[in-house]
Amino acid sequence: MTVANDMSLFTLITGASLPVQLVMLILLITSLFSWWYIFIKVATIKRAEAESENFENAFWTGGDLNKLYEGVTAGRRKPQGMASIFEAGFKEFIRHKQQAKMEISDVMEGSRRAMRAAYNRELDDLDAHLPFLASVGSVSPYIGLFGTVWGIMNAFRGLSNVAQATLSQVAPGIAEALVATAIGLFAAIPAVIAYNRFASSVDRLSVRYESFMEEFTNILQRKS
Amino acid sequence: MIRKHENSDSWKAGIYAIVVHLALLAGMLISFNWKAAHPVLNVTEVELWDKLPAAKPVIKEEPKPEPKPEIKEEPKPEPKPVVEEKPKPEEPKVDIELEKKKKELEQKEKLLEEKRRKDEALEKLKQEAREDELREKKAAEKAKHDEALRKLKEDMLNESGADDTKAASAANASLIGEYTEKIKAKIRGNVNKTLCGDGNPELRFEISVLPTGQLSGSPRLIKSSDNSTCDEAVERAIIASEPLPLPDEPNLKAQFKNLKLKFRPND
Repeated sequence: MTVANDMSLFTLITGASLPVQLVMLILLITSLFSWWYIFIKVATIKRAEAESENFENAFWTGGDLNKLYEGVTAGRRKPQGMASIFEAGFKEFIRHKQQAKMEISDVMEGSRRAMRAAYNRELDDLDAHLPFLASVGSVSPYIGLFGTVWGIMNAFRGLSNVAQATLSQVAPGIAEALVATAIGLFAAIPAVIAYNRFASSVDRLSVRYESFMEEFTNILQRKS
Repeated sequence: MIRKHENSDSWKAGIYAIVVHLALLAGMLISFNWKAAHPVLNVTEVELWDKLPAAKPVIKEEPKPEPKPEIKEEPKPEPKPVVEEKPKPEEPKVDIELEKKKKELEQKEKLLEEKRRKDEALEKLKQEAREDELREKKAAEKAKHDEALRKLKEDMLNESGADDTKAASAANASLIGEYTEKIKAKIRGNVNKTLCGDGNPELRFEISVLPTGQLSGSPRLIKSSDNSTCDEAVERAIIASEPLPLPDEPNLKAQFKNLKLKFRPND
């Protein structure tokens, strides 16, 4: 009877069969990427929320819109979030106003379209990586399960040659195989949690952007 | 993969991600006991082995204190008067100092020699007494052993096993009994008792042990405990106990070809 006394994590991983090792490697890489994206998204969403907060404060203090527009476009980097929507809408509005012959409704329509385009671009940036997190959350448990099933199949196939089946003959194989499921769950759980959290944050931001668009259209209409 | 506006965060996020994974790895390495729990089995083995050799030290300890007091009381009063009586009458006969001195020296030598002789006699007496005691003790022990063995034999080797053991001498029988107990103790250490329930099931196995201590063939179940998991647990324990302890004499090893073992795992 061979009894594997050494059950350290590394012997479990190196002792696993090649498909199981491949599964573990894939899961490790996806886990690394999903955590990377999670941290990136935490930072970007936090920044987008802070920026829209600042911009709303500046916008509703009732200053001159031209000054605000100059302040937004003066910065070296492209305006982000709500500021970029404001910039697109106001730029279109000014441009149409300079051509004096335009109807008011056409001017408003043009600036709305410009704001809608900017809004879509912003939302696309906010939504980035969320599909990846969603698919990691739903698929990586299955990948881990595949590795486990494969490993257990191997463990039991080795058992068929032995007359006296004991638990200690299958235990190391099953332990090896279960490492794959553990890694899969470790990748999936944070991905699912992060996906849900980010999705709700992005929803809230998009609602905020949309209501700003409506309010800004009203202001422009009054101005014209 | 990475958007333009995310560039500033990507490095930080990557480092955080790696830190999280390292933390998880460290947590797994620290919190799990990755060594398999086999030492537990060995511990139970040791505990059970302690019971068997306990019979021997009891024999050795008892004889030592007893013979000494007995022997010291008897011989000492005898020799001392003999030594003192002899030299006293000789001293007054001698006139010359030189002769006195010579005689004194001679006497001293004689005394020493006599002491030596007495010591030797004492030791002989002691040894004889000790040997007698030991013999008596051993005889008593053997008688006890034999009776215990006879009972064991009656219990365990009801049918065919009795024929084999009848042929063996009493000494051999005691050895066989001793090693049968050792084998049972070793197997008992490997039985997973939780599989046998709460009651006190009894099961019998017949095994044949090769002279190397290995099993030839698998153990045969003669009497089941009506609990198949318990039967299997004991069978696995028998296989796990290889090599089984055997006496050194080759002719005794042959006695273990057909060994019937009775188990009460919950005893």
